[in-house]
Amino acid sequence: MQDILTYIALGLAIGFLVKKYFFKTKKKGKCDSDCGC
Amino acid sequence: MFKTIANLRIGEKAFIEKLCLENIPLELLEMGCLPGIEVQLIQTAPLNDPLYIKVNGSHLAIRRETAEKITVVK
Amino acid sequence: MSNEKVVKVALIGNPNTGKTSIFNQLTGLKQKVGNYPGITVEKKQGICKLSHTVKAEITDLPGTYSINPTSLDETLVLDTLLDEKKSGFPDVIIVVVEIENIKRNLLLFTQIKDLKIPTILVINMIDQMKRKGINIDVKQLEEKLNTKIVLASARKNIGIEELKSTILEYKKLDVTPIGKITDRIDKEYFTRLKNAFPEFPLYKSWLLITQNNEFDFLTNEQRKLVLTFREDLGCIKRYQHKETILRYQIINDVLKESFNVDKSKASDLRGILDRVLTHKIFGYVIFALILLFIFQGIFDWATYPMDLIDTAFANLSSWVKTVLPAGTFTNLIAEGIVPGIGGVVIFIPQIAILFTFISILEETGYMSRVVFLMDKIMRKFGMSGKSVIPLISGTACAIPAIMASRNIGNWKERLITILVIPFTTCSARLPVYAILIALIIPDQSVLGILNLQGLTMMALYLLGFTAAIFSAILLNKVLKIEGKTLFVIEMPNYKIPSIKNIFYEVVEKTKAFIFGAGKIILAISIVLWFLASNGPSKFKNAEETIAAQIESTQLSKGELQKKVASYKLEHSYIGYMGKTIEPVIKPMGYDWKIGIALISSFAAREVFVGALATIYNVDNDSENTGTIKQRMSAEVNPETGEKRFNFPTGISLLLFYAFAMQCVGTLAIVKRETNSWKWPILQLVGMGILAYVSAVLAFNILS
Repeated sequence: MQDILTYIALGLAIGFLVKKYFFKTKKKGKCDSDCGC
Repeated sequence: MFKTIANLRIGEKAFIEKLCLENIPLELLEMGCLPGIEVQLIQTAPLNDPLYIKVNGSHLAIRRETAEKITVVK
Repeated sequence: MSNEKVVKVALIGNPNTGKTSIFNQLTGLKQKVGNYPGITVEKKQGICKLSHTVKAEITDLPGTYSINPTSLDETLVLDTLLDEKKSGFPDVIIVVVEIENIKRNLLLFTQIKDLKIPTILVINMIDQMKRKGINIDVKQLEEKLNTKIVLASARKNIGIEELKSTILEYKKLDVTPIGKITDRIDKEYFTRLKNAFPEFPLYKSWLLITQNNEFDFLTNEQRKLVLTFREDLGCIKRYQHKETILRYQIINDVLKESFNVDKSKASDLRGILDRVLTHKIFGYVIFALILLFIFQGIFDWATYPMDLIDTAFANLSSWVKTVLPAGTFTNLIAEGIVPGIGGVVIFIPQIAILFTFISILEETGYMSRVVFLMDKIMRKFGMSGKSVIPLISGTACAIPAIMASRNIGNWKERLITILVIPFTTCSARLPVYAILIALIIPDQSVLGILNLQGLTMMALYLLGFTAAIFSAILLNKVLKIEGKTLFVIEMPNYKIPSIKNIFYEVVEKTKAFIFGAGKIILAISIVLWFLASNGPSKFKNAEETIAAQIESTQLSKGELQKKVASYKLEHSYIGYMGKTIEPVIKPMGYDWKIGIALISSFAAREVFVGALATIYNVDNDSENTGTIKQRMSAEVNPETGEKRFNFPTGISLLLFYAFAMQCVGTLAIVKRETNSWKWPILQLVGMGILAYVSAVLAFNILS
């Protein structure tokens, strides 16, 4: 029982980190000058 | 010899004569720096730059290089 | 609940008009801060109940002087108001102006009014009217501006109820533009523009062609049309110039009849304060004293609650172990999750103190004076007076600091500021510094008053700033970027800060930190714990291996357990990871355990302490869970028999943490703000080399 809970917690943690760092898509600067935005 | 905001003495007032959008940011105009408006140099920062001015009811600080591009008349 | 009607309200105004106070009064604590999709501008929203059946969803847009944006934050105001199909498009706009600067504030109002969206004008700070000798004829002003005016004082809670009922009746608002400005600029040109985009209000079309950005909501044909209009740049600039002059003419005409100031009542408190606060000598002295005071707060006052938190979480860990049934999940809670949460909570005091100071300085209007004082000096280093605020904010966290650099108009100055911010000692470094200093520097007083540990901390701060300044000078020489200067700052009137505003600001920023960085730290603690308490075959057979090894010698049960535990850690997954990088970090004086902490620091520096705590906790026999410091102090280097955290290793670690770019979050934000991988990679490599070299040198010289 405790093992299962541990793996669930671990899965959640890894899932969260992967989502946070590897699926940060979107954005796209709309900038044509040197203003850097 | 043109007189600019940069030539004013502290406390001195003058009227803005001309400023040209080519080298003055639109923002400055929108803050109230317009031709014909009275401008007063309130203070300069310790190293004489930037300048603290009062114009059109607004208190602004601008750099000397910008002030040098705004001509004024008494 | 579901049949409640929602009115979408956008709150707009110049900076320093008390817009945020109005927002706080309307929404109270029912606020949430999120990010706009794709960009990291804070989106502040709140709910306000208008009547039993109607509520307002209020968005506090970034403060701006004009609808023509000069920064990313301000671009957002324009984007929100131009795209009708976006979910954030408001039903009604509230423009907040301040009684004293009404003339300039009204410029933004007249621009917004021309977009033909229902608009309410709120004149804030009316409680100061009498004292300043100001008189307004509201009726006449409403008539001239085709709008509904609400007189308010957010601080005294005046006019808020009236504002709510005005929002409720927004459909009755007049949307005719004021003064037919476009006709007066160039009738022929603007008729052409009108015919090109018949479906848009004319002023909206004008904004579309005067901006440089692309607008997603346009069709391909509309986009082409916009581009043809944009070709005549000289003409556009001239007309913008003319537009501004005309707007001020209209505003002057309107105000001449309905607004007057009795000048004799004006006090010169501002002048006196300005002369002192921006004085050649006193100005800097006062600024230095304020900085000292802030640091005193962060180092000294914050340590009391921080020690309490540290002890409390250590106790909680042991308590969990005694209460819950033994097993892996209990271990995860006691050794992974509880210390992980503790590692986040421990920051709250410092962050809250720092944000309190910064928001007080901003609210009072003093920050602008700092910018004024420091501009020329900062320019010598290739930065701007406006870089001072981000650099100070950097002592809390580099991420919001880098975002705060957005209002630096000159690209080169802004880039240099962004690049050197990570050198300033952010609060994530503090726990690392604090624990290392406590381990290697004796708690002695010098000259009777100064504490040696405190002085070391001060020295590390100075080291960070010095590194920032020197790298700025270097970058200023190396970078070849020519940019137009844009430096206009308002010197707002001095104000007594509102406790309510500061409270909301601090709560909000602290919350953002805990739920942003906190989640990451917690997740990493769990993963770390798992990696440290599991491993391949050697790990699983630890008991037997050790038992076989020591058959001959006599050991007590406790010592046996200890041996098994450290053998396990060495052969756990994380043990292997640490061992892999050991050759690289050995010249700096670190072993594989510190290596593990270094690896995990890349998520966030403060994880260092938590990681070591987790490692040594797993390593220790499970009965004894002392504070993190006790556990680290007990660690011995098996090669020399000395303490692991001795003076040379400690100094080497301090230098490494002072210089290295170890924060994935910061790298991500730099990439986003500079729109290129070049700059974050430069930071990572440049700062990494500096950190490595100085740590190796320090270790070898000292040992």
